[in-house]
Amino acid sequence: MPDLRFEDVSITYRTAGGGVRGEIAAVRSVDLTLPAGGTLGIAGESGSGKSTLAMSVLRLLPGNAQLTGRVMVGDTDVTELSFGKLRALRWADASIVFQGAMHSLNPVRTVGQQILEALELHVADGWKTEAARKERVSELLRAVDLPPLKADSYPHELSGGQKQRIMIAMALACEPEIIIADEPTTALDVIVQQQILEMISRLVTERGISLLMISHDLSVLASACQRIAIMRGGEVVEVGDALEVCTRGQHPYTRQLADAFPTIGDPASRRNPVTRRDRSDAASDPQRSPMTDEVLLEARGLSVTFHSRTKSARAVKDVDLVVRRGEILALVGQSGSGKTTLARTLVGLQQPDPGSVVRFRGRDLPRKGKGLHAFRKEVQMVLQDPTAALNPKLSVYESVAEGLRVQHYRGDEKERVAQSLTDAELTPPEDFFTAIPQELSGGQRQRTVIAGALAVGPQLLVADEPVASLDASARGEILGLLLSLRDRLGLSALVITHDLGLAWNIADTVAVMYEGVIVEYGPTEQVLLRPQHEYTRQLLSAAPTIQRTIA
Amino acid sequence: MTNTVPPTEEILLAETGSDKAPRRVSALSYFLSKLGGAAVSMAMVILLGFFAFKILPGDPVAGIARERQLSPEQIAQLRSQMGLDKPLWQQFTDYLVNVFTLNFGESYVYRTPVAELIGDYFWNTILLTGTSAVIAITLGLWLGQKAGWRPGSLFDRITSGMALVLWSVPTFWLALILLMVFGGTLQWFPTGGMTSPDPPTDPLALVLDVAAHMVLPVVTMVAVVYAQYVMVMRASLMEEKSADYLVTARAKGLRDDLVRRRHAVPNALLPAVTLMFLHIGGLIAGAVTVETVFSWPGLGKLTFEAISGPDLPLLQGTFVVFSAVIIATNLIADLIYRRLDPRVRRG
Amino acid sequence: MSAHVASRSPRAMAWARRRTAFARFAREFSRSRSGMVGLVFLVVIVALAFLAPVLAPAWMLDVTKVMDSPRFAPPSWEHPLGTDHQGRELWVRMLWGAQVSLLVGFAATAMSMIIGTIVGIAAGHFTGIPGALLMRLIDFFLVLPSLILAIVLSTVLSRGVWTIVIAIGLTSWAGTARVVRAQTLSVESRDYVERSRVLGAGHWHIIVKHLLPAVLPLVLANTTLTVGSAIISESTLAFLGLGDTTLQSWGAVLRNSMDVSAATSGYWWYVLVPGIAIVLVVLAFTLVGRAVETIVNPTLRSR
Repeated sequence: MPDLRFEDVSITYRTAGGGVRGEIAAVRSVDLTLPAGGTLGIAGESGSGKSTLAMSVLRLLPGNAQLTGRVMVGDTDVTELSFGKLRALRWADASIVFQGAMHSLNPVRTVGQQILEALELHVADGWKTEAARKERVSELLRAVDLPPLKADSYPHELSGGQKQRIMIAMALACEPEIIIADEPTTALDVIVQQQILEMISRLVTERGISLLMISHDLSVLASACQRIAIMRGGEVVEVGDALEVCTRGQHPYTRQLADAFPTIGDPASRRNPVTRRDRSDAASDPQRSPMTDEVLLEARGLSVTFHSRTKSARAVKDVDLVVRRGEILALVGQSGSGKTTLARTLVGLQQPDPGSVVRFRGRDLPRKGKGLHAFRKEVQMVLQDPTAALNPKLSVYESVAEGLRVQHYRGDEKERVAQSLTDAELTPPEDFFTAIPQELSGGQRQRTVIAGALAVGPQLLVADEPVASLDASARGEILGLLLSLRDRLGLSALVITHDLGLAWNIADTVAVMYEGVIVEYGPTEQVLLRPQHEYTRQLLSAAPTIQRTIA
Repeated sequence: MTNTVPPTEEILLAETGSDKAPRRVSALSYFLSKLGGAAVSMAMVILLGFFAFKILPGDPVAGIARERQLSPEQIAQLRSQMGLDKPLWQQFTDYLVNVFTLNFGESYVYRTPVAELIGDYFWNTILLTGTSAVIAITLGLWLGQKAGWRPGSLFDRITSGMALVLWSVPTFWLALILLMVFGGTLQWFPTGGMTSPDPPTDPLALVLDVAAHMVLPVVTMVAVVYAQYVMVMRASLMEEKSADYLVTARAKGLRDDLVRRRHAVPNALLPAVTLMFLHIGGLIAGAVTVETVFSWPGLGKLTFEAISGPDLPLLQGTFVVFSAVIIATNLIADLIYRRLDPRVRRG
Repeated sequence: MSAHVASRSPRAMAWARRRTAFARFAREFSRSRSGMVGLVFLVVIVALAFLAPVLAPAWMLDVTKVMDSPRFAPPSWEHPLGTDHQGRELWVRMLWGAQVSLLVGFAATAMSMIIGTIVGIAAGHFTGIPGALLMRLIDFFLVLPSLILAIVLSTVLSRGVWTIVIAIGLTSWAGTARVVRAQTLSVESRDYVERSRVLGAGHWHIIVKHLLPAVLPLVLANTTLTVGSAIISESTLAFLGLGDTTLQSWGAVLRNSMDVSAATSGYWWYVLVPGIAIVLVVLAFTLVGRAVETIVNPTLRSR
């Protein structure tokens, strides 16, 4: 059984963009070892070089990448292999589990054919004949808990979780000794994610395979790997035993990553998301909440049905919801639960079914025309991906001023824009006036979107997965901003998320949504620490956590 | 840890092993829906035919009267002959009846029913354009994918360069040049017609004779159109190259040209085929000038002769028939596409 | 710097942004060798066409005034590009032809672009029945054989240059519309359009502020390519005898050459010269168009 060793590996990309020749160092002098049969996780944010490092094992880097150093699989230096030997090593000695939910499978061939392809390329005693290979495909599908007749499906006929299982089955096909899992659970439901992680752990233990797992989520790695390495800017900042790294990390960056995903029940992270500033100068008293009893937004018996030519689907079923002034309500649900539809209905982008009641400050929600236009001043929305939410050609000033222009604001536009940018903690605002989104970081972009929403002076902010697309470090910033906006401006918030930890971080109240229905609803401490409904309990146990002792 | 929760769909499927059958969109229902679309297009063509020839400003009779000196009696006679003295709605119903009985009137120039003329010349055009289409598509696809796989290589630069130049060439001019060089100067190929003046009776010799006459026109049509197809396929493959599943294929140890053939090309083919058939009208319309220059007895040549009249019934007939051919070709393209893309076969 | 920036009005900032974007575009374009070659060539041709009345006075086209000139004279120092079947200098006809071909090319393209952009944006932006109807309309015009339809229109309407312009314009807009519609749909699905709606924007704001700027670069690339094909269409229609037969369009010159069987009689310059002119001009437009396309769509960069 071979080790996998990175010895002083550096990878640079030669760029020739816009006539300028340059080099980007993606990986710098990395030394890492994955012992035979062991498990190693590499954690880092986007741009840390972790995926580049992983791809180098099978030399799958693009043509403009240059690698120095050695990548050893056992006694073989992968970087020195001829193409023929490299192709033989690929998949048979080491294979990769890609993100199946994305486009890692050929859309026009059945998944069975794609697994067969691997078997045909690396023929071994176990599958010499065609019949034996077909049998092996069935066997592999059974090992990943899929019925063998799924082999005749095309990728578009499978769900995200099923596709991920196919990727795992395919990786196991030629009995490799090393498996590299590159973000194997990103874009999957929390519950499916737990199943997949368990499956991967079980399979590699059963078959004695070494596992190298890449993820941006430290808690995912903590549940599956013995050792964890943290990468940042192409370098390894820390490496060690998983529990040690997560709970007693030496490097400040490690601690920052670990703290970005709080443990539910930990009072230190309650209403206290990690921001760049030191934790101790959190402005508000974590125990007090400025929430009042005044009802801002109310929904009773809210249902939303989508009608297509062949069938109708009820996305939201009979929901009761209340948001009070000064309250931060977290609406938690997995993909497909109807949470986004609910949010869009509350903001007026979607029509509810007749009979549904939605009231803002006691008055029925206007559905169109001037009423709806005026309503837009009161309730605003922040979307998930700040990069997509900003027109890349417009400057920050123009994006923030857009709401004012559309609402025919009569006051001084420039002053209002500056004020909104200040409220969103983009200071000094004048520095940002002419910047375009490309020049900003993820956190800054989201702040711009929030500033744009603040400009029209709303009383309630609906945020749909506001931090899901952001790096761990920006996550704390934005959550802190939401809290501070509530404290400073009295802005209420309805935050849609799949992440219970986020609810623990900032919410006063939690509503759990499953298949269009709110299954549990109450103050955060109650719902997350003493859950009543089965689904809530399942969510809580499925969320990967770093085992911490709770004081 | 035991699960006491209601199982998710995932677990259900895995445990019971049962499955919803993949939803199949049957070939018949697909064909029928596309046929319906084609019928609607054809109806709109027929409407447009009426609109263009009866309603548009520029009284056709005045147009004819300008070309030839006609007395007022002759003009009135022409009017009633063309049915222009009847009220508009009656003209429309007459027109519809005529179309459905395939009665396109009588050609001014030839003094024979248009339908008969078209019937005689129709298959000659199909022979020419069909052969050209098949060659152009095959050549375009093959060259395009080879060039697109290695952009910037010598092969690619030559192929793209040639394609760009040929794309800028007007069809009729290329026809004239080929006629001049190969027909006139070198005398390798006949300069006109579909067969020699005294066609051979032996079937094989006849086929060869026709083939010899086909060479120059086909080369002309292919040269202009294949260029577009090369660029389309090339662009499609270049876009496909960055796809994730190709990384998976390489990771499995597949050789580069197999990655191209088995994975990249079948996917790149989909948008390319759509675009190619979308522009098939250009190829078919090219028949007008090519048949004219090479005196090939087909619908294109008929159209050319109708212009000088202007022989309106003939022009109307060729317009409707050309459109019908393109609509039919698009229908075939839809069926081919279904064969290629499993996402259409199984929704 | 910040004080200076803060004192500018929003309008000034927006224009400054546009100027920077344009400067960046021009810089990138100048890096494309083929694009620059095409652009320079086009500038020269347009200049020559403009100066046609000066360089080749109208009397040189008058058949009665060139009676002494030899007919079918091959190219030589005296007759740089040879003479035609009536003794006129070919280079004179070419210069005047440039005017017609370019004018018709630009005018027809302008018409095609305007119709195509408007219909394309409308088809992509409006959902439900209006959107579906417009899409059907676009698909229908794509299916029609454009050349045949142009022939029909040119025949049925009164003869003349503007008929040709209308004929080409009305038959070629669908290609642009289709591309514009696809781009509009993709922009519509972006989050920033949804954000605009949440902020309270109506149709007009979204179309003018977001859709149009996103679509215009594509339209620009498409336009240069369309001019090329419009010139080919014009020459084809002139070759077939449509349009104004008194004008010197390059296609008309080629029609003359066919009528006098120049191809088979050995008068090669009569056939070669106008054709090469068309090829070069269209090629120049194509090169410029492709250079613009590469800048507008960065994924095409490697070509």
